Amino acid sequence: MSTFQLQIVTPDGLAFEGQAQRVLCRTIAGDVCILPRHCDYITALGMGEARVTLQDGTVRKAACIGGMLTVRAGVVRLVATTFEWAEDIDKARADASKQKAESILKQTNVDPHELDLAQARLKRALVRSHVANNM
Amino acid sequence: MAGASMKDIKLRIKSVESTMQITKAMELVASSKLRKAKERVEKSRPYFEVLHAALSDIVYSNAEFSSPYIAQRSVKKTCYVVIAGDRGLAGGYNANILKAVAAETQGKEICVLPIGKKALEHFQRSKTQILTERYAMAGDITVSDCFSIAKLLAKGFLAGEYDEIRLAYTNFVSMLSQQPSIIKLLPLQVNRPEPGSAPRGLTLYEPDSETVYNAIVPEYLAGLVYGALCESVASELGARRTAMDAASKNAGEMIDSLSLHYNRARQAAITQEITEIVAGAEA
Repeated sequence: MSTFQLQIVTPDGLAFEGQAQRVLCRTIAGDVCILPRHCDYITALGMGEARVTLQDGTVRKAACIGGMLTVRAGVVRLVATTFEWAEDIDKARADASKQKAESILKQTNVDPHELDLAQARLKRALVRSHVANNM
Repeated sequence: MAGASMKDIKLRIKSVESTMQITKAMELVASSKLRKAKERVEKSRPYFEVLHAALSDIVYSNAEFSSPYIAQRSVKKTCYVVIAGDRGLAGGYNANILKAVAAETQGKEICVLPIGKKALEHFQRSKTQILTERYAMAGDITVSDCFSIAKLLAKGFLAGEYDEIRLAYTNFVSMLSQQPSIIKLLPLQVNRPEPGSAPRGLTLYEPDSETVYNAIVPEYLAGLVYGALCESVASELGARRTAMDAASKNAGEMIDSLSLHYNRARQAAITQEITEIVAGAEA
């Protein structure tokens, strides 16, 4: 099975670098899957689960939020705002964050900025707990 | 110091000694934090470099590209993001950056987004319009805070609340030198290809180049803010380290001169006592 060079970069450093058979992630326009020998490509990432199939065929899952995906001359770069492997996700924290966001969303008369923040937090928490639960 | 009693001098020496202990401790803390701050900058750098490369590629490869983020508008109001420290005792760090901002904003209509307690206090005093006071602690700001700052800025810019965003931060040149600087965040500066130059390789954008561009810009802004914040934190620590080093040296010198005075006073007292005893014996 042919592979390609994959780099996963986040603001906290390099999350992954090596050969992969394929990578699947959610973009702002839906899920995409990149296979070897893809043409040059750029898209922005949404919020969702990412699946990386490594050289030996094992599949690793991760929560991948924001950023972009580029393919240039056969090298795939996943530049994500947050990228956490499923086994690294702090489930308790995600659940706590989800509950907190829900309690804010339930209240009436919250200021719109708070509401936006709470919605974003809820989305992130849902992605994280979804990935962590389906390891 | 002449005429002060031995007890007074002794007390002074003790108080200067304890001050010196504090300044020494602060210097050590600043040095170790500085190392961490520099590591943080280096770790995050590749991420933002890739974003920047993608953004300039998009503009460069299609000539008829347009985005609200690159549209130049006549500037009526400017938003300044000012990054200063949370605490004093860092030499001229806070004063320099606030002075640089004041020099540039004179007579202009502005609003500010202060980061750091000293910046917030300064603009509250000068009664400048403040966008948000949420980011008062520069030391506690994380990457995700930078993303919310960037979103807030981009939203205000698109809504037309201000026509330009500038970022004031302190550039970490070296351990001994920190330079306040002000850069433009929005509208983005773009390099258009020369007409007739060779076309670049084709790249597929999904859903299309403008959507991708507009989705990435807030992240890129966040990157710039984060980078500037890291630089500023490093500068603050560097400035504090230098200031504390100087303070420790001054305290050392002071202790030396005080000890000299103390010994002189002690000697004078002994001499006087001997004279008195001799005079008493002769009488």
